[in-house]
Amino acid sequence: MRRLARTYVTLLRVGFAAALAYRAEMVVWMLTTTMPLVSLALWSAVAAEAPVGRFGPSDFVAYFLAALVVRQLTSSWLVWQMNQDIKQGSLSQRLLRPVHPLIHYSAENLAALPLRAAIAVPVAIVALVTTGGGHFARDPTVVGVAVASLLGAWLINFLTMAILGSLAFFTESSTSAFEIWFATSMLLSGYLVPLEIFPAGVRAATDVLPFRYTLGFPVEAITGRTTAGHALAQLGVQWVWVVVLGGIAIAAWRAGVRRFAAFGG
Amino acid sequence: MAQPPAIEVRSLSKVFRVHERAPGLRAAVASLFRRTYKEVTAVDDLSLSIAPGERVGFLGPNGAGKTTTLKVLAGLIHPTSGHVRVAGHVPQRRETAFLESIALVMGQKQQLLWDLPPVETFALNRAIYDVPQDVFAQRLAELDDLLGLRAVSGKPTRQLSLGERMKCELAAALLHGPRVLFLDEPTIGLDVAMQLAVREFLRAYADRTGATLILTSHYMDDVVALCPRVVVIDKGRLRYDGDLRTLSRTVRPDKRIAMRLRADGPAPDRAAIERLGEVVELEATRAVIQVPQEGVRDAIAQLFASHDVADLTVEDPPLEEVMRELFASTGDARAASPGDGPRA
Amino acid sequence: MRYVRLFGTQLRRSLALALQYRLDFVTSGLVSIVWSVISIVPLYVAFHGRPAVGGWSYESALVVFGWFTLLKGVLEGAVNPSLVQVVDHIRMGTLDFVLLKPADAQFLVSTARFEPWKIVDLGVAIAIFGYAFARLGHPPSAAAVALAFAMLCAAVAVLYSVWILVVAAAFWVVRVDNLVYLFDSVFDFARWPSSVFKGAFSILFTFVIPLALMTTFPAQALLGTLAPGTAIAAVVASLLAAIGARRVWLRALAHYTSASS
Repeated sequence: MRRLARTYVTLLRVGFAAALAYRAEMVVWMLTTTMPLVSLALWSAVAAEAPVGRFGPSDFVAYFLAALVVRQLTSSWLVWQMNQDIKQGSLSQRLLRPVHPLIHYSAENLAALPLRAAIAVPVAIVALVTTGGGHFARDPTVVGVAVASLLGAWLINFLTMAILGSLAFFTESSTSAFEIWFATSMLLSGYLVPLEIFPAGVRAATDVLPFRYTLGFPVEAITGRTTAGHALAQLGVQWVWVVVLGGIAIAAWRAGVRRFAAFGG
Repeated sequence: MAQPPAIEVRSLSKVFRVHERAPGLRAAVASLFRRTYKEVTAVDDLSLSIAPGERVGFLGPNGAGKTTTLKVLAGLIHPTSGHVRVAGHVPQRRETAFLESIALVMGQKQQLLWDLPPVETFALNRAIYDVPQDVFAQRLAELDDLLGLRAVSGKPTRQLSLGERMKCELAAALLHGPRVLFLDEPTIGLDVAMQLAVREFLRAYADRTGATLILTSHYMDDVVALCPRVVVIDKGRLRYDGDLRTLSRTVRPDKRIAMRLRADGPAPDRAAIERLGEVVELEATRAVIQVPQEGVRDAIAQLFASHDVADLTVEDPPLEEVMRELFASTGDARAASPGDGPRA
Repeated sequence: MRYVRLFGTQLRRSLALALQYRLDFVTSGLVSIVWSVISIVPLYVAFHGRPAVGGWSYESALVVFGWFTLLKGVLEGAVNPSLVQVVDHIRMGTLDFVLLKPADAQFLVSTARFEPWKIVDLGVAIAIFGYAFARLGHPPSAAAVALAFAMLCAAVAVLYSVWILVVAAAFWVVRVDNLVYLFDSVFDFARWPSSVFKGAFSILFTFVIPLALMTTFPAQALLGTLAPGTAIAAVVASLLAAIGARRVWLRALAHYTSASS
């Protein structure tokens, strides 16, 4: 166990150095993260004519700034990496190491967090200043749920990526599966539109699906748009998804590696 | 009247600017803000001239500048200075007529379309090079003769073995009938039989078409089998240009005498043999000695006189050793190739 | 002439490849339809039964959305598949083979691959136009359709040029996955009429990343509300974009051949 912890720290450090290596990429990356700002501009303009549901312009500002931060702290890009590793056979090297590849991947993923936080923290400060803090959670239970939900959101993202990435073991066109997932999640997670203003039927569906728990739910908790009881119940649903997806991810990975071994990469 | 050369290189130099970064986290952060560069001279004042139909091997250790030179000749890299003409064109201008008259085969990279059978790549190249249908069919038949393509060219590329892929790769590169053919390690990774097949094909092709052939390879056998002339490049500079045999003779003016003794005869006399020359190998029924060229005659006579010889051959030292010696003599101890032959 | 034949060969090859994966036709068709229906939801929330936003009613916003679907089809069917291969070429070093061919490298890489199944998006777009104009109660005039087609050509030229720029970045930056991803995310906002955006974003989406030119102008043309001056400016802008992209591409190649090893 201690050895694993020590290895993990080293993996994190190497991953961090790798994340720093390309500065041009970092610029692109920062630009990508500004998407919620565009949504913000759009929906503020829409709300300026007349409020949308409970949302006035400043509610939209708080919501999308929180979305930007959550997105920063919880995203994963494992699918691309797995795809490349599987197609080019570099997975063999990972399989040879005495660390489970999924653990290794997770370290690489988390190692980029400090850089992402460097982007997220200023945004959070801007959000607090511009909206006067009135749009954010005060209830200690909700604040606690918000923190826990961030970890859950990252896990759901990471695990679904691992599942979709494992598809690359079986099919040539695994990235298109990811694109479908990505497109669906953009809409149903609350990234482009707060789920609250969706028609009731769509909203009921999103409560059950995993998408909302990767973004919409943490954002709602952070912006205090939920009650303590409801937040706790939702947190329960989120972690059920974490467990379910974790099980599927491990099974998919095992089946994939068996196939990888059989075909020799 | 003498034919104009197929390849003419005068004072070619190529300098790369590379980004340098020390290992470690601090250096990684530092390089975000300031990058340090250093200049690397890959090719340094290289001049040579190659006649049409010649087959030339480029030799040199890893990083000597062979591939860079090849890429400059193919017009893929612009030279920093110097003049280059290939088939009457300046390569870097990449004129259509120039591109139609050359081909580059890279053993480590492939142009075949991965998910489709090689025939699709052939058809695509036919369209790109604008080869008339009848010429195309005839060339394909010729290549099929030499390489035995028909059995494999209908299968998707990803299902082919490395050797089969290389055959198709060669065919794809030659369908437009290039007059100058550049080969960068064409036999890398292939098994011995397949190496032999590729070599034979290249020689037959060059004989049949009169194409000029420039080859780099780590396998000395490729060079020995294909190239009467070799160009040795080391650290970007031209070290030798000329006949392969002359090269061995200048670097290693010795000959090797390998002698096999009758199994029932007396054991070799070590002291007597050592007097004749340097002992490379000495066993119960076998001895290899190295002697200066002018001493070969005497040595053989004495060996016959003192031993019960069953068989005797005289040969040049292996090319790997020649190369090693050549590069070692400039203070560079790198071997001619990483996996080179038996050590003396 | 060589290029026409070459184009034919490339197209045939993509078709052959696409026919190997017939299942893709069904899935990509289904996905396209389902996805378009889901995507109307935010539009419905923002525009339906509410005051017009920035002068756009629900129906006219739908027309913009139709153009968005159509252009997304063009992007994913004709532009994107071949150009992402350039990135692989550069990474694997096989771009050398392309450069050695006696045909224009930009032409070769731009026509390397098509996704014929994306034609489904065209059908979906037409269905959306039909629905929007049925709600409006009058069909577009012939002149409007002609102008819209001209705007479509300008839009495709701009889209292609922006993509060439993205790909050209791969010559300097080793990984452009996230650049592609960035473009996709930005392009997604083309589903909204550009005049909904105010301030900095309005400038950004009109001049820097001309989303307005891609979907809003063709929609206005079809609705008959596009000012002639804007139409001419759009055509000129698309020509400039194409010329600019070509120059950047040539510079990128020059950089590649002088810096690669």
